Amino acid sequence: MFNIIFYEIRTTLRQAHSWLTPLLFFVMVITLFPLAIGPNESLLEKIAPGILWVAALLAILLSIGNLFRHDADEGYLDVMLLSPYPLTWLVLCKVMSHWLTHCLPLILISPILGFLLHLPAHEQYALFVSLLLGTPVLTLLGAIGAALVVGIRGHGLLLPILIMPLYIPVLIVGTATTQQSMAGCFAILGALLLFSLAFAPFLTGIALRIGVNQ
Amino acid sequence: MTLCISQLAFERNNEPLFHPIDCTVSTSEILQVRGANGCGKSTLLRIFAGYISPEMGTIFWQGKNIFQQRDEYIQQLCYIGHQNGIKLHLTVSENLKLICALANQKIPHSSFKKILHTMQLENIEHTQAIHLSAGQKRRLALARLLLMNTRLWILDEPMTSLDQAGQTLIADLLNQHIAQGGMAVVATHHDLKMTGKMLYLPDANYSVMPACF
Repeated sequence: MFNIIFYEIRTTLRQAHSWLTPLLFFVMVITLFPLAIGPNESLLEKIAPGILWVAALLAILLSIGNLFRHDADEGYLDVMLLSPYPLTWLVLCKVMSHWLTHCLPLILISPILGFLLHLPAHEQYALFVSLLLGTPVLTLLGAIGAALVVGIRGHGLLLPILIMPLYIPVLIVGTATTQQSMAGCFAILGALLLFSLAFAPFLTGIALRIGVNQ
Repeated sequence: MTLCISQLAFERNNEPLFHPIDCTVSTSEILQVRGANGCGKSTLLRIFAGYISPEMGTIFWQGKNIFQQRDEYIQQLCYIGHQNGIKLHLTVSENLKLICALANQKIPHSSFKKILHTMQLENIEHTQAIHLSAGQKRRLALARLLLMNTRLWILDEPMTSLDQAGQTLIADLLNQHIAQGGMAVVATHHDLKMTGKMLYLPDANYSVMPACF
Protein backbone atom coordinates (compact mmCIF):
# COMPACT_ATOMS: atom_id res chain seq x y z
CA MET A 1 0.00 0.00 0.00
CA PHE A 2 2.85 2.37 0.67
CA ASN A 3 3.97 1.69 -2.87
CA ILE A 4 0.69 3.05 -4.15
CA ILE A 5 1.03 6.23 -2.09
CA PHE A 6 4.65 6.55 -3.18
CA TYR A 7 3.78 6.37 -6.87
CA GLU A 8 0.86 8.78 -6.45
CA ILE A 9 3.17 11.30 -4.79
CA ARG A 10 5.74 10.81 -7.52
CA THR A 11 3.07 11.47 -10.18
CA THR A 12 2.02 14.68 -8.43
CA LEU A 13 5.55 15.94 -7.88
CA ARG A 14 6.28 15.57 -11.60
CA GLN A 15 3.44 17.97 -12.34
CA ALA A 16 4.85 20.94 -10.51
CA HIS A 17 2.02 23.25 -11.48
CA SER A 18 -0.52 21.09 -9.68
CA TRP A 19 0.92 21.43 -6.19
CA LEU A 20 2.63 24.82 -6.61
CA THR A 21 -0.57 26.59 -7.63
CA PRO A 22 -2.36 26.25 -4.26
CA LEU A 23 0.80 27.19 -2.40
CA LEU A 24 1.40 30.31 -4.49
CA PHE A 25 -2.25 31.24 -4.22
CA PHE A 26 -2.10 30.93 -0.43
CA VAL A 27 1.04 33.05 -0.20
CA MET A 28 -0.30 35.67 -2.60
CA VAL A 29 -3.61 36.12 -0.82
CA ILE A 30 -1.99 36.49 2.58
CA THR A 31 0.71 38.88 1.33
CA LEU A 32 -1.85 41.09 -0.36
CA PHE A 33 -3.91 41.69 2.79
CA PRO A 34 -1.42 43.83 4.76
CA LEU A 35 -0.76 45.76 1.54
CA ALA A 36 -4.42 46.40 0.98
CA ILE A 37 -5.55 47.07 4.54
CA GLY A 38 -2.46 48.97 5.63
CA PRO A 39 -0.10 48.35 8.55
CA ASN A 40 -2.92 48.44 11.08
CA GLU A 41 -1.44 45.92 13.49
CA SER A 42 -4.38 45.51 15.80
CA LEU A 43 -6.82 45.03 12.91
CA LEU A 44 -4.57 42.52 11.14
CA GLU A 45 -4.09 40.63 14.35
CA LYS A 46 -7.84 40.33 14.81
CA ILE A 47 -8.68 39.12 11.31
CA ALA A 48 -5.53 37.03 10.75
CA PRO A 49 -6.99 33.65 11.82
CA GLY A 50 -9.98 34.14 9.53
CA ILE A 51 -7.91 35.25 6.54
CA LEU A 52 -5.42 32.43 6.93
CA TRP A 53 -8.11 29.81 7.16
CA VAL A 54 -10.13 31.20 4.24
CA ALA A 55 -7.02 31.38 2.08
CA ALA A 56 -6.08 27.80 2.98
CA LEU A 57 -9.62 26.61 2.26
CA LEU A 58 -9.72 28.33 -1.13
CA ALA A 59 -6.26 27.01 -2.00
CA ILE A 60 -7.43 23.48 -1.28
CA LEU A 61 -10.63 24.07 -3.22
CA LEU A 62 -8.53 25.06 -6.25
CA SER A 63 -6.78 21.73 -6.48
CA ILE A 64 -9.18 19.17 -5.04
CA GLY A 65 -11.45 19.19 -8.10
CA ASN A 66 -8.76 17.49 -10.13
CA LEU A 67 -8.13 14.72 -7.66
CA PHE A 68 -9.59 12.02 -9.89
CA ARG A 69 -9.69 13.85 -13.21
CA HIS A 70 -6.44 12.58 -14.73
CA ASP A 71 -7.17 9.06 -13.52
CA ALA A 72 -10.63 9.16 -15.06
CA ASP A 73 -9.33 10.57 -18.35
CA GLU A 74 -6.74 7.84 -18.75
CA GLY A 75 -8.90 4.99 -17.53
CA TYR A 76 -6.79 4.43 -14.42
CA LEU A 77 -9.99 4.55 -12.33
CA ASP A 78 -11.12 1.38 -14.11
CA VAL A 79 -7.93 -0.33 -12.98
CA MET A 80 -8.46 0.89 -9.40
CA LEU A 81 -11.97 -0.53 -9.35
CA LEU A 82 -10.67 -3.98 -10.31
CA SER A 83 -8.05 -4.05 -7.59
CA PRO A 84 -8.33 -6.62 -4.79
CA TYR A 85 -7.85 -3.76 -2.34
CA PRO A 86 -11.10 -2.18 -1.13
CA LEU A 87 -11.87 1.04 -2.99
CA THR A 88 -12.09 2.82 0.38
CA TRP A 89 -8.42 2.07 1.05
CA LEU A 90 -7.37 3.21 -2.42
CA VAL A 91 -9.30 6.46 -1.97
CA LEU A 92 -7.53 6.94 1.36
CA CYS A 93 -4.18 6.43 -0.39
CA LYS A 94 -5.08 9.06 -2.95
CA VAL A 95 -6.28 11.50 -0.32
CA MET A 96 -3.16 10.96 1.76
CA SER A 97 -0.84 11.57 -1.17
CA HIS A 98 -2.86 14.65 -2.15
CA TRP A 99 -2.63 15.99 1.40
CA LEU A 100 1.11 15.38 1.59
CA THR A 101 1.81 17.20 -1.67
CA HIS A 102 -0.80 19.96 -1.64
CA CYS A 103 -1.62 20.74 2.00
CA LEU A 104 1.60 20.04 3.89
CA PRO A 105 3.44 22.91 2.12
CA LEU A 106 0.62 25.24 3.17
CA ILE A 107 0.90 24.13 6.79
CA LEU A 108 4.67 24.48 6.82
CA ILE A 109 4.60 27.98 5.41
CA SER A 110 1.75 29.18 7.64
CA PRO A 111 3.98 30.33 10.55
CA ILE A 112 5.79 32.74 8.22
CA LEU A 113 2.53 34.07 6.86
CA GLY A 114 1.11 34.33 10.36
CA PHE A 115 4.10 36.44 11.29
CA LEU A 116 3.31 38.69 8.31
CA LEU A 117 -0.17 39.26 9.71
CA HIS A 118 1.13 39.95 13.21
CA LEU A 119 -0.43 36.81 14.62
CA PRO A 120 0.45 36.45 18.33
CA ALA A 121 2.73 33.57 19.26
CA HIS A 122 0.16 31.38 21.02
CA GLU A 123 -2.22 31.78 18.07
CA GLN A 124 0.60 30.79 15.69
CA TYR A 125 0.86 27.48 17.46
CA ALA A 126 -2.91 27.06 17.44
CA LEU A 127 -3.03 27.92 13.72
CA PHE A 128 -0.40 25.32 12.90
CA VAL A 129 -2.18 22.56 14.79
CA SER A 130 -5.62 23.58 13.55
CA LEU A 131 -4.39 23.47 9.95
CA LEU A 132 -2.70 20.13 10.65
CA LEU A 133 -6.03 18.72 11.84
CA GLY A 134 -8.31 20.69 9.56
CA THR A 135 -6.68 20.37 6.12
CA PRO A 136 -7.07 16.55 6.08
CA VAL A 137 -10.78 17.08 6.79
CA LEU A 138 -11.02 19.52 3.88
CA THR A 139 -9.18 17.08 1.61
CA LEU A 140 -11.37 14.15 2.65
CA LEU A 141 -14.61 16.07 2.18
CA GLY A 142 -13.32 17.56 -1.06
CA ALA A 143 -12.62 14.06 -2.34
CA ILE A 144 -16.34 13.27 -2.11
CA GLY A 145 -17.07 16.30 -4.28
CA ALA A 146 -14.28 15.41 -6.69
CA ALA A 147 -15.69 11.92 -7.09
CA LEU A 148 -19.20 13.29 -7.68
CA VAL A 149 -18.02 15.49 -10.55
CA VAL A 150 -15.55 13.02 -12.01
CA GLY A 151 -17.64 12.14 -15.02
CA ILE A 152 -18.82 15.67 -15.77
CA ARG A 153 -16.97 17.73 -18.32
CA GLY A 154 -16.47 21.36 -17.42
CA HIS A 155 -17.70 21.02 -13.88
CA GLY A 156 -16.39 24.52 -13.14
CA LEU A 157 -18.22 25.95 -10.18
CA LEU A 158 -20.25 22.84 -9.46
CA LEU A 159 -17.66 21.37 -7.12
CA PRO A 160 -17.35 24.43 -4.84
CA ILE A 161 -21.13 24.71 -4.65
CA LEU A 162 -21.37 21.03 -3.72
CA ILE A 163 -18.84 20.97 -0.95
CA MET A 164 -19.09 24.49 0.50
CA PRO A 165 -21.83 23.39 2.94
CA LEU A 166 -19.42 20.78 4.24
CA TYR A 167 -16.48 23.17 4.36
CA ILE A 168 -18.15 25.97 6.29
CA PRO A 169 -18.37 24.12 9.64
CA VAL A 170 -14.70 23.16 9.32
CA LEU A 171 -13.84 26.80 8.59
CA ILE A 172 -15.77 28.04 11.61
CA VAL A 173 -14.23 25.49 13.97
CA GLY A 174 -10.75 26.02 12.52
CA THR A 175 -10.88 29.78 12.93
CA ALA A 176 -12.30 29.48 16.44
CA THR A 177 -9.54 27.04 17.36
CA THR A 178 -6.89 29.48 16.18
CA GLN A 179 -8.43 32.41 18.01
CA GLN A 180 -9.21 30.72 21.29
CA SER A 181 -6.84 27.74 21.30
CA MET A 182 -8.89 25.95 23.95
CA ALA A 183 -8.61 22.21 24.32
CA GLY A 184 -12.30 21.86 23.48
CA CYS A 185 -11.84 23.45 20.06
CA PHE A 186 -8.96 21.13 19.19
CA ALA A 187 -11.09 18.21 20.31
CA ILE A 188 -13.90 19.23 17.96
CA LEU A 189 -11.43 19.46 15.08
CA GLY A 190 -10.08 16.06 16.00
CA ALA A 191 -13.61 14.70 16.07
CA LEU A 192 -14.31 16.16 12.62
CA LEU A 193 -11.16 14.49 11.37
CA LEU A 194 -12.13 11.10 12.77
CA PHE A 195 -15.66 11.45 11.47
CA SER A 196 -14.51 12.33 7.96
CA LEU A 197 -11.89 9.55 8.03
CA ALA A 198 -14.65 7.09 8.83
CA PHE A 199 -17.21 8.20 6.25
CA ALA A 200 -15.63 10.26 3.49
CA PRO A 201 -13.56 7.54 1.76
CA PHE A 202 -16.53 5.19 1.75
CA LEU A 203 -18.83 7.83 0.22
CA THR A 204 -16.12 8.80 -2.27
CA GLY A 205 -15.89 5.16 -3.35
CA ILE A 206 -19.62 4.98 -4.01
CA ALA A 207 -19.48 8.20 -6.04
CA LEU A 208 -16.53 6.85 -8.03
CA ARG A 209 -18.33 3.61 -8.91
CA ILE A 210 -21.18 5.67 -10.35
CA GLY A 211 -18.97 8.27 -11.98
CA VAL A 212 -16.68 5.85 -13.77
CA ASN A 213 -19.49 4.77 -16.07
CA GLN A 214 -20.21 8.27 -17.39
CA MET B 1 -14.22 -22.40 -16.02
CA THR B 2 -17.30 -21.02 -17.70
CA LEU B 3 -18.77 -17.62 -18.18
CA CYS B 4 -22.47 -17.98 -18.84
CA ILE B 5 -24.63 -15.07 -19.96
CA SER B 6 -28.35 -15.44 -19.65
CA GLN B 7 -30.93 -13.04 -21.13
CA LEU B 8 -28.66 -10.06 -20.68
CA ALA B 9 -30.17 -6.72 -21.61
CA PHE B 10 -29.27 -3.10 -21.06
CA GLU B 11 -30.88 0.24 -21.80
CA ARG B 12 -29.50 3.55 -22.94
CA ASN B 13 -31.75 6.61 -22.86
CA ASN B 14 -34.68 4.36 -21.99
CA GLU B 15 -34.26 2.32 -25.15
CA PRO B 16 -32.94 -1.22 -25.27
CA LEU B 17 -29.32 -1.23 -26.38
CA PHE B 18 -29.38 -4.77 -27.72
CA HIS B 19 -31.62 -7.78 -27.78
CA PRO B 20 -31.35 -10.12 -24.79
CA ILE B 21 -28.12 -12.07 -25.10
CA ASP B 22 -27.60 -15.73 -24.28
CA CYS B 23 -24.04 -16.93 -24.51
CA THR B 24 -21.44 -19.18 -22.96
CA VAL B 25 -17.67 -18.96 -22.96
CA SER B 26 -15.72 -21.95 -21.69
CA THR B 27 -12.08 -22.76 -21.06
CA SER B 28 -9.87 -22.30 -24.12
CA GLU B 29 -12.56 -20.36 -25.93
CA ILE B 30 -12.63 -16.88 -27.32
CA LEU B 31 -15.77 -14.82 -27.85
CA GLN B 32 -15.50 -12.06 -30.43
CA VAL B 33 -18.04 -9.29 -30.12
CA ARG B 34 -18.76 -7.56 -33.41
CA GLY B 35 -21.01 -4.76 -34.39
CA ALA B 36 -21.22 -1.29 -35.81
CA ASN B 37 -20.06 1.75 -33.87
CA GLY B 38 -22.43 2.73 -31.13
CA CYS B 39 -24.13 -0.64 -30.86
CA GLY B 40 -23.08 -1.20 -27.29
CA LYS B 41 -19.95 -3.39 -27.52
CA SER B 42 -18.06 -1.37 -24.93
CA THR B 43 -21.07 -1.27 -22.63
CA LEU B 44 -21.47 -5.01 -22.94
CA LEU B 45 -17.84 -5.59 -22.05
CA ARG B 46 -18.13 -3.28 -19.08
CA ILE B 47 -21.12 -5.28 -17.90
CA PHE B 48 -19.01 -8.44 -18.21
CA ALA B 49 -16.30 -6.78 -16.14
CA GLY B 50 -18.79 -5.93 -13.44
CA TYR B 51 -18.66 -2.13 -13.74
CA ILE B 52 -22.33 -1.82 -14.73
CA SER B 53 -25.32 -3.84 -13.58
CA PRO B 54 -27.49 -5.10 -16.41
CA GLU B 55 -31.14 -4.07 -16.61
CA MET B 56 -32.16 -7.65 -17.09
CA GLY B 57 -30.51 -11.03 -17.07
CA THR B 58 -27.58 -12.57 -15.23
CA ILE B 59 -23.95 -13.37 -15.79
CA PHE B 60 -22.72 -16.56 -14.17
CA TRP B 61 -19.10 -17.33 -13.44
CA GLN B 62 -18.65 -20.93 -12.41
CA GLY B 63 -22.39 -21.19 -11.92
CA LYS B 64 -22.65 -18.26 -9.53
CA ASN B 65 -23.89 -14.73 -10.24
CA ILE B 66 -20.89 -12.44 -10.63
CA PHE B 67 -22.48 -9.73 -8.53
CA GLN B 68 -22.75 -12.15 -5.63
CA GLN B 69 -19.09 -13.09 -5.80
CA ARG B 70 -17.60 -9.84 -6.98
CA ASP B 71 -14.26 -10.13 -5.21
CA GLU B 72 -13.55 -13.67 -6.43
CA TYR B 73 -14.70 -12.81 -9.94
CA ILE B 74 -12.58 -9.71 -10.44
CA GLN B 75 -9.48 -11.57 -9.25
CA GLN B 76 -9.95 -13.89 -12.22
CA LEU B 77 -10.34 -11.25 -14.88
CA CYS B 78 -8.29 -8.58 -16.57
CA TYR B 79 -10.17 -5.82 -18.35
CA ILE B 80 -8.48 -3.55 -20.86
CA GLY B 81 -10.87 -0.93 -22.17
CA HIS B 82 -10.62 1.81 -24.76
CA GLN B 83 -8.56 3.92 -22.41
CA ASN B 84 -5.15 2.73 -21.45
CA GLY B 85 -5.39 2.85 -17.68
CA ILE B 86 -1.92 4.31 -17.21
CA LYS B 87 -0.52 7.24 -15.31
CA LEU B 88 0.98 9.63 -17.83
CA HIS B 89 3.59 11.11 -15.52
CA LEU B 90 5.11 7.80 -14.48
CA THR B 91 7.66 5.91 -16.56
CA VAL B 92 6.84 2.62 -18.26
CA SER B 93 8.42 0.50 -15.54
CA GLU B 94 6.90 2.65 -12.76
CA ASN B 95 3.48 2.17 -14.34
CA LEU B 96 3.94 -1.59 -14.40
CA LYS B 97 5.20 -1.64 -10.80
CA LEU B 98 2.16 0.38 -9.76
CA ILE B 99 -0.11 -2.15 -11.46
CA CYS B 100 1.66 -4.91 -9.49
CA ALA B 101 1.18 -2.96 -6.28
CA LEU B 102 -2.50 -2.38 -7.05
CA ALA B 103 -3.02 -6.06 -7.84
CA ASN B 104 -1.09 -7.01 -4.69
CA GLN B 105 1.27 -9.12 -6.75
CA LYS B 106 5.01 -9.45 -6.45
CA ILE B 107 6.69 -10.13 -9.75
CA PRO B 108 10.30 -11.35 -9.71
CA HIS B 109 12.71 -9.06 -11.50
CA SER B 110 13.45 -11.63 -14.22
CA SER B 111 9.75 -12.05 -15.08
CA PHE B 112 9.37 -8.29 -15.13
CA LYS B 113 12.19 -7.95 -17.64
CA LYS B 114 10.73 -10.79 -19.71
CA ILE B 115 7.35 -9.02 -19.89
CA LEU B 116 9.02 -5.76 -20.93
CA HIS B 117 10.86 -7.68 -23.65
CA THR B 118 7.72 -9.48 -24.87
CA MET B 119 5.78 -6.23 -25.15
CA GLN B 120 8.74 -4.52 -26.84
CA LEU B 121 8.94 -1.89 -24.13
CA GLU B 122 12.58 -2.45 -23.16
CA ASN B 123 13.98 0.57 -24.95
CA ILE B 124 11.47 2.96 -23.40
CA GLU B 125 11.50 1.48 -19.91
CA HIS B 126 12.49 4.76 -18.27
CA THR B 127 10.47 7.10 -20.45
CA GLN B 128 7.47 8.84 -18.95
CA ALA B 129 4.25 7.64 -20.51
CA ILE B 130 3.36 11.16 -21.60
CA HIS B 131 6.22 11.05 -24.10
CA LEU B 132 5.16 7.75 -25.66
CA SER B 133 3.36 7.32 -28.96
CA ALA B 134 -0.21 6.03 -28.99
CA GLY B 135 0.94 2.55 -30.01
CA GLN B 136 3.54 2.41 -27.26
CA LYS B 137 0.95 3.48 -24.68
CA ARG B 138 -1.37 0.73 -25.95
CA ARG B 139 1.37 -1.87 -25.56
CA LEU B 140 2.00 -0.59 -22.04
CA ALA B 141 -1.69 -0.98 -21.31
CA LEU B 142 -1.77 -4.50 -22.73
CA ALA B 143 1.29 -5.48 -20.68
CA ARG B 144 -1.18 -5.61 -17.81
CA LEU B 145 -2.45 -8.90 -19.25
CA LEU B 146 0.94 -10.53 -18.77
CA LEU B 147 1.48 -8.97 -15.36
CA MET B 148 -1.81 -10.09 -13.86
CA ASN B 149 -1.95 -13.44 -15.63
CA THR B 150 -5.68 -14.03 -15.07
CA ARG B 151 -7.94 -16.67 -16.60
CA LEU B 152 -10.40 -14.33 -18.27
CA TRP B 153 -9.34 -11.52 -20.55
CA ILE B 154 -11.88 -8.87 -21.50
CA LEU B 155 -10.47 -6.67 -24.22
CA ASP B 156 -12.17 -3.70 -25.85
CA GLU B 157 -10.58 -2.91 -29.21
CA PRO B 158 -7.09 -4.07 -28.18
CA MET B 159 -5.61 -3.40 -31.63
CA THR B 160 -6.31 0.34 -31.58
CA SER B 161 -3.25 2.42 -32.43
CA LEU B 162 -1.04 -0.65 -32.85
CA ASP B 163 1.13 -1.10 -35.91
CA GLN B 164 1.33 -4.41 -37.82
CA ALA B 165 3.99 -5.81 -35.51
CA GLY B 166 1.97 -4.83 -32.47
CA GLN B 167 -1.19 -6.43 -33.85
CA THR B 168 0.68 -9.65 -34.58
CA LEU B 169 2.06 -9.57 -31.04
CA ILE B 170 -1.38 -9.26 -29.48
CA ALA B 171 -2.81 -11.96 -31.74
CA ASP B 172 0.03 -14.26 -30.69
CA LEU B 173 -0.55 -13.49 -27.02
CA LEU B 174 -4.25 -14.26 -27.42
CA ASN B 175 -3.52 -17.54 -29.18
CA GLN B 176 -1.07 -18.50 -26.45
CA HIS B 177 -3.52 -17.57 -23.71
CA ILE B 178 -6.33 -19.64 -25.26
CA ALA B 179 -4.01 -22.58 -25.87
CA GLN B 180 -2.96 -22.52 -22.20
CA GLY B 181 -6.56 -22.83 -21.06
CA GLY B 182 -7.51 -19.20 -20.74
CA MET B 183 -10.67 -17.47 -21.92
CA ALA B 184 -11.14 -14.20 -23.72
CA VAL B 185 -13.95 -11.86 -24.69
CA VAL B 186 -12.75 -9.43 -27.33
CA ALA B 187 -14.58 -6.58 -29.01
CA THR B 188 -12.78 -5.76 -32.19
CA HIS B 189 -13.21 -4.50 -35.73
CA HIS B 190 -10.18 -6.48 -36.82
CA ASP B 191 -10.55 -10.05 -37.94
CA LEU B 192 -8.66 -12.01 -35.35
CA LYS B 193 -8.45 -15.08 -37.60
CA MET B 194 -9.12 -17.29 -34.62
CA THR B 195 -11.72 -20.00 -34.30
CA GLY B 196 -14.18 -19.18 -31.62
CA LYS B 197 -17.59 -17.79 -30.96
CA MET B 198 -18.92 -14.61 -32.54
CA LEU B 199 -21.50 -12.35 -31.06
CA TYR B 200 -23.01 -9.80 -33.41
CA LEU B 201 -24.55 -6.84 -31.74
CA PRO B 202 -27.34 -4.93 -33.45
CA ASP B 203 -26.78 -1.30 -34.17
CA ALA B 204 -28.52 1.40 -32.24
CA ASN B 205 -31.77 0.74 -34.11
CA TYR B 206 -31.46 -2.98 -33.37
CA SER B 207 -33.07 -3.99 -36.62
CA VAL B 208 -30.83 -7.00 -36.98
CA MET B 209 -31.39 -10.03 -34.76
CA PRO B 210 -28.35 -10.87 -32.69
CA ALA B 211 -26.66 -14.07 -33.81
CA CYS B 212 -24.73 -16.05 -31.25
CA PHE B 213 -21.98 -18.47 -32.24
